[in-house]
Amino acid sequence: MANIKGYNMPDELYYHEEDSWARVDGTKVTVGMTDFFQKEAGDIVFVDLPDEEDEVSQGEVCGKIQSRKWIGNLVAPVSGEIVELNEELEEDTSLINTDPYGEGWIIVIEASDLESDLGNLIHGDAVADFIEKQIKKAEQEKAKEEG
Amino acid sequence: MLTMTVHWRLFKDMSRSVSTAEGLAVDDTLPQSVAHHQSPPILHLYTFVPSVIVGKYQDIEAALRLERCRVRGIEYNRRSTGGGTVIMGPEIVALGLGINVDYPGLGGGLGGVFGPLAHVLSKALERLGISSYFQPKNDLEVNGKKIAGLSAAYETGKSLLFHTSLLVDFDIPLMTDIMNTPLIKLRDKGYNCFSQRMTTVCKELGEDVPVQRVVGAIEASFEEEFGICFQEDEPDHWETEVIQRYVKERYINQDWIFSHKHPRARMGLGRLKTRGGLLEIYLALSGGSIENVIITGDFFSTSEHIYRLEKALKWTSAREESVGENLSKVWQDDMIYGLDVPTLTRAIMIAKENQVRL
Repeated sequence: MANIKGYNMPDELYYHEEDSWARVDGTKVTVGMTDFFQKEAGDIVFVDLPDEEDEVSQGEVCGKIQSRKWIGNLVAPVSGEIVELNEELEEDTSLINTDPYGEGWIIVIEASDLESDLGNLIHGDAVADFIEKQIKKAEQEKAKEEG
Repeated sequence: MLTMTVHWRLFKDMSRSVSTAEGLAVDDTLPQSVAHHQSPPILHLYTFVPSVIVGKYQDIEAALRLERCRVRGIEYNRRSTGGGTVIMGPEIVALGLGINVDYPGLGGGLGGVFGPLAHVLSKALERLGISSYFQPKNDLEVNGKKIAGLSAAYETGKSLLFHTSLLVDFDIPLMTDIMNTPLIKLRDKGYNCFSQRMTTVCKELGEDVPVQRVVGAIEASFEEEFGICFQEDEPDHWETEVIQRYVKERYINQDWIFSHKHPRARMGLGRLKTRGGLLEIYLALSGGSIENVIITGDFFSTSEHIYRLEKALKWTSAREESVGENLSKVWQDDMIYGLDVPTLTRAIMIAKENQVRL
């Protein structure tokens, strides 16, 4: 199921509860932000990327994402070493909005404890529950804004 | 029946205006204290010395005329939350709030804090006799004019820092002198530009209003809306050490103030003759985003319409399809007499093509 209530959440990906996604290719894990995140955030205007060769732990804030005025976190979905950064984002952060699972990828991590880390992420049938909870929370926020 | 009073802490010293280093370091400490020091939410109300503060990811050298700041004795610094340049001073209330994003009454997410907190500020203005409303995503407005700007950032875990500047009075000539934006090139028109887009408590009430009165209204509004009581307090020993660390690591540190972690700042001018008149577009770009746009020329329109169009583009992607889409969302027939969205988009794209680095 890739489309959940209007949000594209590809089946093959793993999701962290802080809205980052992980695509596994051997021990290399490509990381980005979900369609849900980019829709809620609106136009992304800057990404504060970590450095290559930085070591990160699962759940650690490894970058910052600025959307208009608020600044959110890029949370590492797995532990390991950052081996690649998407330098295209320096010129065009809107890639995160227009193609969050493709050209809008953010970093690649060489995972150090992949099997264990993947067990802590949201995947498969659990994704629908997760996104529905996120939607409910967002609807409550909007109701408060309008109220 | 006994009910438990919920206390928040209030850091407030209106006896003096503080340096940018002190004010910003205290603000950064607020969410740390909530997350790691078992503090209840902390509201910090204060004023700065005359100063100008850029957003975390702005190019300070492109945003400001630093030499003019030095000559005029205006402090400059960089805050830890997002957004654009703000002028601060003794007539502008600075507000920092450290709170958990899941606190009852807030939205439950970073984007969701703006509505409820804007509502509190709007209620504060209502106490002063000013009717204002939240203009998503980040402004508080009175009759289409901005009176306060809001910004926020996650600092640690679920705790966040929320920042606001509320204009009690404002020095527009100072702003045009020290800011290095396309607007500066419209110096003569600039007064009109700014005065049509911004307002202040004093202007709305037609009288001088002491800052203390505005601060009192904000306190009372927070207490009522969140059902809490403030306890005036000061940073304790743990917090004082954190404040000192932030002062040293950030606000007197040239690497922080002149940080190069920002999108490239560029500016472009686009001119296009149209059947509605000459269109002149001043475009400030921040990486691939529009930081600011000024639409001017000899066409027929109203300042409200122009402001609405400009605002629809602020901090959005500068891609052609995005510009067209965002203009279409607010476009009404004859907003600019004789013009349409594709023509306006084309003029903006000409400005984009003509961009030069600042």
